[in-house]
Amino acid sequence: MTTFPEMRDLAERLLTYEANAGNISEPVESTTLRVYEKLRQSLGQLTGAAGFHALGSRALMLARSEVPSLSAVELAADGSLQGMSATEHPINVEEDRVRDGGVILISRLLGLLVIFLGEALMMNLVRDVWPDAASDDGNPQDGRKA
Amino acid sequence: MSTQDKVKINQLPTGVPGLDEIVGGGFPEFSFNIIAGAPGSGKTTLAHQFVFANATPEHPALYFTVLGESALKMLRYQQQYTFFDPAKLPDSIRFINLSQVVLEKDLGAVLEQITKEVEKANPAVVVVDSFRTMVRKPESDMDLQSFIQRLALFLASWQATTFLIGEYAEEELRDNPIFTVADGLFWLRQTTERNSIVRKLQIIKLRGQASVPGLHTFRITDAGIQAFSRTFGLTPRVRNPIGQRRLSFGVPELDKMLDGGVREGDSVLVAGSSGTGKSVLATQFIAEGIRQGEPGIVAVFEERPQAYAERATSLGLDLETPQKDGKLAILYLRPLDLSVDETMQSILDAVQKIGAKRLVIDSLAGFEMALSPGFRADFRESLYRMIFALTGIGVTILSTVEVDESFIEFPFSTYSISFLCDDIIRLRYVSIDDQLRKIMVVIKMRGGNHAKDIREYEITSGGVVILDKRLTNYQRLISGIPVHSNRSSGEEEPLP
Repeated sequence: MTTFPEMRDLAERLLTYEANAGNISEPVESTTLRVYEKLRQSLGQLTGAAGFHALGSRALMLARSEVPSLSAVELAADGSLQGMSATEHPINVEEDRVRDGGVILISRLLGLLVIFLGEALMMNLVRDVWPDAASDDGNPQDGRKA
Repeated sequence: MSTQDKVKINQLPTGVPGLDEIVGGGFPEFSFNIIAGAPGSGKTTLAHQFVFANATPEHPALYFTVLGESALKMLRYQQQYTFFDPAKLPDSIRFINLSQVVLEKDLGAVLEQITKEVEKANPAVVVVDSFRTMVRKPESDMDLQSFIQRLALFLASWQATTFLIGEYAEEELRDNPIFTVADGLFWLRQTTERNSIVRKLQIIKLRGQASVPGLHTFRITDAGIQAFSRTFGLTPRVRNPIGQRRLSFGVPELDKMLDGGVREGDSVLVAGSSGTGKSVLATQFIAEGIRQGEPGIVAVFEERPQAYAERATSLGLDLETPQKDGKLAILYLRPLDLSVDETMQSILDAVQKIGAKRLVIDSLAGFEMALSPGFRADFRESLYRMIFALTGIGVTILSTVEVDESFIEFPFSTYSISFLCDDIIRLRYVSIDDQLRKIMVVIKMRGGNHAKDIREYEITSGGVVILDKRLTNYQRLISGIPVHSNRSSGEEEPLP
C-alpha cells in the first residue's frame, strides 16, 4: 500500500516548513507532532473532536500498515497523538526512518481529506494553517481509496 | 413618520433562483430566521445557497454545525452543487463544529461558544445547523426560550443575518415560543404523491416586508434549490382598452370573423377533436406573428420540435429560419414529474428571453399529462396564474384543447377553463352529404364583436382555409348531424 505521491510531497513540505520554523535541535518527532497538532486544531473546528478522532484513527491505521513502528502510537479522546516520542526513538533507527513515519501519517490524514472533501477544500484548509508552506501544484486523485 | 425618516432595511440576495421574488426582494439584513422542515426537505441546501451568495472575506459567514450530519459529509455532498465555491472556504465561510459543547455542556456554554466565535470573526451571516438537535436536550422551556432570545438579541446586535435550521413537524408550528422570536420562518415540505415527490415552501412569517403568500413549488437540481413563485414574478394584469391592436391569425376569413383579428394580449382557446386542425391553426397563428415581426414561443408536449417544424414546412410555413434567428423557440416539455410552476417558468423564461409577443400552448391535454400526478390538481389554478401574468404584459396566448366529439352537447373544453379565455374558437366535424366535413365557429370574444357564422373550412397544403360558401341551407350544424333545410344558399330563414 502506498500513499498518494502528491500527499506525501505536501506532507514533506509541511514538515520541512515546521522544522525550519522550529528549533533546529528539536527531535524529528516534535515536528510531526506540531504539524499534526496544527491540523487537529484547524480540522477540529470543522469536524469536532469526535469527528477529528475518527479521521485521525483511520489515518493512523493506514500509516501503521506502512510504518509498523507507528503501532506504539495511540490517539487520545481529543484526537491528539500519544506515544509518538517513544516510538520514534527506537535503538538503531536512523532519523530518516523516524521522519518517514511522520510523513506517512500526515500524508494519510491529508489523503483522507482529499477523499472526503476533494483537493480544493483540502488545500484551502492547509493554506489556512500554513499560508506560506502550501503550494497547489499537487494533483491528487480524488476519491481513490488507499 | 415620513418615508425618509423610516429605517431602511437592506435586503440580501437569497442565492436561490426565484426566491428573492417570493420573499419580497431578499432576506432582510440582520434578521433572525428559522428554516424548518422534515429531513431531506432542502433546509441545509437553502442555507448554503444563501451563505455562498453573500459571504465575502470582508463580510464572512460562520456556519455552526451541531449534531446530526457531520461537517465532512455535509461539505462532501454540498460541494456537488454548482453554487458551491471551494475558494470561499475558509476565508469567507468558516464551518465550526459545536457538537462537543452540545454533548458535554449546556445551552449556556453553547451560547458562550457562539458568542466567542462571532466576536472573533465579526460575521455578516450566521447559520446554526441543526439548531433542533441542540434543543432536544432535556432543558426546560424557559431555558430554551431564554437561550433563543439571547442568541437572537446578540446576533442582531452584532449585525449578523442569522438562520437557524431545524427539523420540525407540521404540528409543532403552533404555540412554539421559538417561532415567536424569529423574524422569518420558512417551512419546506416534501410529500410523495403517487410516484412523484412534490416539494413546496411556505413563508409562514417574514417581518418588515411583503412576501408572496401561499405554497411555492421548488426543485432541487445540480444547481441547488430553484423556487417557482406563484406569481411568476410578473406584474398583475392590466387590461388594455377596447380597440387595441388586432393580431392576424394568418387566415384572412378567420380574421374577419374575429372583427379584424385577435386582440393583442388576449388568451385564445382553440377547441376541437382530433384531426380538426387545431395545431395547424396554431402554427399559422405563430407563423403569421413571425411574418409581422412578433417573436413567438410554441410549447409542445405531444411531438418533438423538429417534427413540429417539419409539419409547418409541409404547410408552406418556415419555422426553421426564425428559430435560427432567435425569433422563435419551440419548447418540448415532456418530463413526467414536472410541477406546473416549473413548466410555466420554462415558458416564461423563453418568453422573456426572446421578447415573445405570441405564445402557443399545444396542447393543454399534453401539458397536463407532462405534469407529475400530484400537480395535476393545481393545473387549472396554475394555468390561470400564468395566463393572467403573461397576457398582463401583452403576450397573446393561443392554447389548443382536444374535446371529445359529442352529438348531444357542444363542449368547449374538458378543463372548465373557458373562463380563462378571452376568445374561444370551436372546430368540429359535421356529417354532410355522406362526407365528414369541418366547421368553425367563434364562440366567444370578450369585449368585442365577432361573426356569428358557422363556417366550413378545409385543411389544405397551405393550412386552414375557410370556404367562401356558407352552409346556410343546413340546420343544427353544431350538433354534427345537420338537417338539410331545403333552402338554397343565401335564402333567408322564415320567421317562426
